[in-house]
Amino acid sequence: MSRAATEVLDLPLDIPPEPDELIRAAMAWHFGPTGSPFWLERAKSLPFDPLTDIRTHDDLTLFPNVAAELRDVRTQDLIPRGYGQTPDVVGVFESGGTTGAPKRVVLLRDWLERMLHWSNLNLDAHGFERGVDWLGLVPSGPHIVGEYFRRSAATHGRHGFTLDLDPRWVKKLIAAGRRADADAYAEHLVDQAAFVLRTQDIGVLTITPPLLERIARRDDLTELVNEKVRAIRWGGTQLDPDSRYLYKTEIFPDVVLCGNYGSTMILGFAGERPGLPDDAGCVFDPYSPYVTFSVVNPETLRPVGYGDRGRVLVHHVSKSFFLPNNLERDTATRIEPLAGHTGDAVADIAAVTTFENENVIEGVY
Amino acid sequence: MNAPRSDVVPLDALGARGPYRAHNRLAVTDVAGQESAELSLVPPLFVDQTMKAMHRAATPAPDERIGMIGRAAELFATATLNGLTPDAYAYRVSRVGGTPISVVQATATAIAARLRKAHYSVEHARPTGAVHRWDDPLTRTGRAVWVRSGNVFAVHAAGNHPGPHSLWPEALALGYRVAVRPSRREPFTPHRLVTALRAAGFGDDQVALLPTDHTTADALLRGADLGLVYGGEDVVRKYASDPSVLTQGPGRSKILLTREVDWREHLDTIVDSVSGHGGTGCVNTTALFVEGDPAPLCAALAERLAAVPSLPPEDPAAAFPVQPLATAKALEAHLLHQASGTRPWLGGEGMLDELGDGSAVLRAAVHQLDRPDAPQAAVELPFPCVWVAPWTREAGLPPLRNSLVLTAVTHDDRLVAELVEEPSISNVYVGNHRTYWMESGLPHDGYLAEFLMRCKSVIRD
Repeated sequence: MSRAATEVLDLPLDIPPEPDELIRAAMAWHFGPTGSPFWLERAKSLPFDPLTDIRTHDDLTLFPNVAAELRDVRTQDLIPRGYGQTPDVVGVFESGGTTGAPKRVVLLRDWLERMLHWSNLNLDAHGFERGVDWLGLVPSGPHIVGEYFRRSAATHGRHGFTLDLDPRWVKKLIAAGRRADADAYAEHLVDQAAFVLRTQDIGVLTITPPLLERIARRDDLTELVNEKVRAIRWGGTQLDPDSRYLYKTEIFPDVVLCGNYGSTMILGFAGERPGLPDDAGCVFDPYSPYVTFSVVNPETLRPVGYGDRGRVLVHHVSKSFFLPNNLERDTATRIEPLAGHTGDAVADIAAVTTFENENVIEGVY
Repeated sequence: MNAPRSDVVPLDALGARGPYRAHNRLAVTDVAGQESAELSLVPPLFVDQTMKAMHRAATPAPDERIGMIGRAAELFATATLNGLTPDAYAYRVSRVGGTPISVVQATATAIAARLRKAHYSVEHARPTGAVHRWDDPLTRTGRAVWVRSGNVFAVHAAGNHPGPHSLWPEALALGYRVAVRPSRREPFTPHRLVTALRAAGFGDDQVALLPTDHTTADALLRGADLGLVYGGEDVVRKYASDPSVLTQGPGRSKILLTREVDWREHLDTIVDSVSGHGGTGCVNTTALFVEGDPAPLCAALAERLAAVPSLPPEDPAAAFPVQPLATAKALEAHLLHQASGTRPWLGGEGMLDELGDGSAVLRAAVHQLDRPDAPQAAVELPFPCVWVAPWTREAGLPPLRNSLVLTAVTHDDRLVAELVEEPSISNVYVGNHRTYWMESGLPHDGYLAEFLMRCKSVIRD
């Protein structure tokens, strides 16, 4: 394979590849001798030849969804051989593990840096001040968000303060009906954050919406955030438009609020579109054309109309990793992408509303 | 006023900073599935902020708040609030809740009457030894002072009937700030009541309406000092170990007729107790215990209830409740399942009567049980449904236990004494009194103020 065929995978950070060129380069890389053992083996059972049959971004939908296979595959087999004997591996990370055993991915240095470059520009666009200290109340351990927190703090900010957060344990407690224990754990996290907030010059807070809600519940912490924190970056779960409005207009009126919609399987996250009005939900744009979304009807996998709801289908296409057609569990509203972007933007993620149990019919209330 | 109204009423959340129209809105539909209102559902953050503001808020002086409650009563009964005249309000409640419109109108009048006497009502709960103020001259030599146990009170309201909304304003009379979470099944009444209270002078941080989805509901209780929750057995169990939450569970009201009385003289009382006010209340009779053969009474009761017409809820002559067909069918299936093995006198083949617009009337059901301790006697359903069981002196008190109201038609004073002393019976009416009878100043399930207030010793030099 010629060097030119894959050099589009290594373009300088500020030059976006042409989407279809990226696809052809990625096919050459991942399905040529440089590909990972996982994909080279998997290609044998595909009913088409990626090297010749996949020419455009739209062709990605020919691939099967192999995400579930990432629960069992040897992670070493996920690294493209083209990285040589000593690939610069930042770490092995796992999905949340909400639905059974976690899926695993490998984060390589070149992709981390590409993603960080893009994400830091997004933070700049939202008005995040550079060089300040960050505090992260985000999952740690095998969760990629913790790594991105540390790296974002180090590259966009100065020091990153962290704490241990195990979301799987919280999910287990809630599933077992142990609400009080889950609450106690969350309060324990907020208590730890309070020590840092009180004593350090925290300028950026990275946090999940449920924990931000707990901070807002405490008057002393709300005051501290308003006094010190200049920007809040939220992610991990969704922030409904009404809460977002309340934060921006009443609770933290002078603090920049910016959301992420992330997934381990895309090795990163999509960023909130800058300049949205206060009284609207968030629109997220992925790092196109490396990461692209389409909002689809879950049965047909065909896109729904703009403004309609569907399931989020994601593609990750980079030098370090290839995962097409991964159907996420989230639903979202399909939004038109920014000019020059491939795929869809998404809004109103998940949030299924239940009111009260309709099955209970005995009794008069 | 019975013309169909196609317009949809916005029911905003009423938070500490005034009305709020949320992005997250729930379509409230009438019994035929037509959208009638759009209820703004607020997230936990909104609830937290409102509850915090309510904790910070001032309490109006006693006479001032009683004056405001009185003005609110007037507005509730007569004013156009949130764009709805009293008639339009009653129409919406009847269409959405399925409650007969005459019942809605009578209840609105009753709510206003109870509000006007809120001070009189709560005063009855004050221990006779306790005074209102610390500076009462009696405290110079030591005296109990009646004070609030907290400041912010949360209510998970009922949706079966507008009536229960006459209770929680007593907390305002006592100086609490009150946040109400309405039921999706009938949010109009609490919205109208809170709007009236605010128009009468209560601050936005003193009385609030916080509609939420099910998962957010506990945020109200968490943010309050004390709470009141309406619900079934499951709700009662959930909060059983929480002393800060008062539950209003199943009523399971009953009537007992002993041998020496002639039931024929009390048939009106019995029919009304079963089916009055639409038969959907916790104070409607669920079980009837008869010393002797219950069959003649069953026959007479069935005959009377069978004669009631099936009408849409907004018809002035409607008497039975109406529900969406799917709900009605589920209730019917539940009734038929529960009734297996009993002797049906009315509704044995089902009790729903379709109105043709997607709704159905829930007609009365009368079933005869073969023994006093048959489990069906505890099955309380949201329509006129009564279980008639034989009762004997040997059976005694056990089948009569767990009653919100027990009407005892008897001349046996010793039995009456036992019933009054029985802890699981909340109210005992002797003789010709409907189980739904209520009066300002009398407890419903104990006085609410028993839960909201405490006595404190004060002595001073």
